[in-house]
Amino acid sequence: MKKIVWAILLSFTIVTWIAPVQAARTPYKIGVNLELTGPWAEVTKTLKNALVMEVERINKTGGVNGRPLELVFEDNGFDVGRAAANMTKFTRDKEILLVLGPFEDNLQATTRAIAEREKITNIIICPSNPMVRDLKQKWAFNMAQSDIIVSQKLVDLSLARKYKKALVFPAAHPLALSLADYYKKFGEEKGMKVIISQETHKPTDIDMTPQLTKLKPIIEKEKVDVFYASTAGPPGPIVCKNLRALGIKIPILGTHAFGFGFIIALGGEAMEGVEFPAAKPVVFDQLDDNDPVKPINIDFDKRWKERYGTPSDQIAGYGYDTIGLISDALKRVKGKATRSGLRDELENTKGFKGTHGMYQFSPTEHDGLSKKDMVFVRIEGGKFIRIKFPGLE
Amino acid sequence: METWSYIPQLLISGITFGAIYALVGLGFVTIARASQIINFAQGDFVMLGGMMTFFLLKGAGLSYPLAGIFAVAIVILIGFLLHLLVIYPLRKASLPILLMATLGASLFLSSTSALLFGTLPKSLPPFLGRSSFEMGGVSISPQSLFVLGATFLVLLSLYFLSHRTFLGKAMEASSTDPLGADLSGISRNLMIFLAFGVSAGVGSIAGIFITPVFYVNYYSGTLIGLKGFIAAVLGGWGKHGGAILGGFVLGVVESLSVAFIPSGYKDGVAFVILLLILHFRPKGILGSPFIDSRRW
Repeated sequence: MKKIVWAILLSFTIVTWIAPVQAARTPYKIGVNLELTGPWAEVTKTLKNALVMEVERINKTGGVNGRPLELVFEDNGFDVGRAAANMTKFTRDKEILLVLGPFEDNLQATTRAIAEREKITNIIICPSNPMVRDLKQKWAFNMAQSDIIVSQKLVDLSLARKYKKALVFPAAHPLALSLADYYKKFGEEKGMKVIISQETHKPTDIDMTPQLTKLKPIIEKEKVDVFYASTAGPPGPIVCKNLRALGIKIPILGTHAFGFGFIIALGGEAMEGVEFPAAKPVVFDQLDDNDPVKPINIDFDKRWKERYGTPSDQIAGYGYDTIGLISDALKRVKGKATRSGLRDELENTKGFKGTHGMYQFSPTEHDGLSKKDMVFVRIEGGKFIRIKFPGLE
Repeated sequence: METWSYIPQLLISGITFGAIYALVGLGFVTIARASQIINFAQGDFVMLGGMMTFFLLKGAGLSYPLAGIFAVAIVILIGFLLHLLVIYPLRKASLPILLMATLGASLFLSSTSALLFGTLPKSLPPFLGRSSFEMGGVSISPQSLFVLGATFLVLLSLYFLSHRTFLGKAMEASSTDPLGADLSGISRNLMIFLAFGVSAGVGSIAGIFITPVFYVNYYSGTLIGLKGFIAAVLGGWGKHGGAILGGFVLGVVESLSVAFIPSGYKDGVAFVILLLILHFRPKGILGSPFIDSRRW
């Protein structure tokens, strides 16, 4: 009995003695609020792996300002309620400087609102949508290419291919609908005719044949040049498969969400010839040699392969970019790092080089990437092939 | 009228879907005929059939037919295990409790599949080339014909099993007249055990045939299971012919509904039909052996 008491006393003294030494190297804590279970579990696992890999690399080389980074993971299970609970939990922990995530569009409105109220930075992986953009929130930043630049890029692609008339088949969620609207707006400014289908589809639909059957007469009567599937996830390849099965042979355009290997695997042959604007990591080995992000991607991909044995993708790239952006901003914070200090410096980010491109934030622009950070991609032989047009990137 | 021009195509697509619902519905009916249990894990047998085939084909590198046969065998084994581990220990419990147990089993199977096989959707290549052919302005994909053929064969073999073999009759007796079955020396537990195997087999065959048309995901069993259940109730709960008829009615109505209402409501149509049927003709189109028609 006595021995145990002594052991406890001894360990207490050791702990209290060591603690002040560690205080000098207290980590910068980052909350991560991701869909680690649920339909996107595999994709968010890639992101988690990338975050962990980057944080370990930075910590090994002395951390940021001599202090290590620390990630605190919480799983929101693809559930708005749990995403909100995680966010609130993070805001109550005074050591958490900033929150990463969620990953999906339909969760971001909630966490953004909490971030705004509790005054904590929220970096969101997916693009912003018009509904949240109009709120002009101070504390939220989006990593992914916004619907506006994707639509501009798509219009460029359509013009380069000399498509005059396009039919858009959007998914029934805000981001897909705004992609469709912006494509129509920018397209018609450039003299195209864009028809947005009254028929939509849900992200959970496993067959679009009925909707596409209804669109087939429109495609034939209006002599539509190109079909634009404004969607994400499995519906993309399903639309392509169903279109081809119905004997509709017009070219198909996709969104930047088509840039995943599993999309090609799902659609198989029907994906051949589909073109879309993509993030640079999708075809990083085919970028121009003078592209500043090419070496970053090659280096990142090499480290990724060494550690995880699979090729890296655009989601892993976001992991590199977010950690890079945060440590970049932390380096610029003067004095003690506070939530508001970090936010101000993040907003001051000017031309941070990541795997996706050059991130640039400003008080009026919280979507980091621009049109220059995207390339055109065509699916050929089951692979993503970069295509170039003279005068356009 | 423009609407009428695409009716034939919608009809074809509806028939394909109808065959799928019918196949899933047949699985429900098989168990119901032996035990009156509604097995809500039926949709997960379908999901597992597709998933197993995918992994035997891509992971283990087996040939397509071999992968299919092994997948069916594995899913039948899972069906047996489901009975031994979940249904058998609860054999003295009332039907609602068994229903909850199968719901739990369904959640367990789908989550396990997510853990083992990952959460990204998977698709199988079509049995024959992908190209569809045109007939009278309507394009038909060969895979749809395979689904129709499979439905027909499964129906035939189930019909043969329940009407021409002693085993099938014993299975049915253990549900419709438990006391009589006991008195004739039929082991009811064994019959339910076998019914779970047969129904798992039917489910996995459905999974293998429909995965090339759509894709399979760890949670895709839930919706397809519900639709199959509606099909079985619609046609007449407990009748093989009922499940087939119900499946085709549901598939065609759902598909044709798109011509008249926005497609967003497509999934709702099935449930509206179910409500109408339950209200006006609870025993289904063909009538049900389990529902006393005098009461209605």
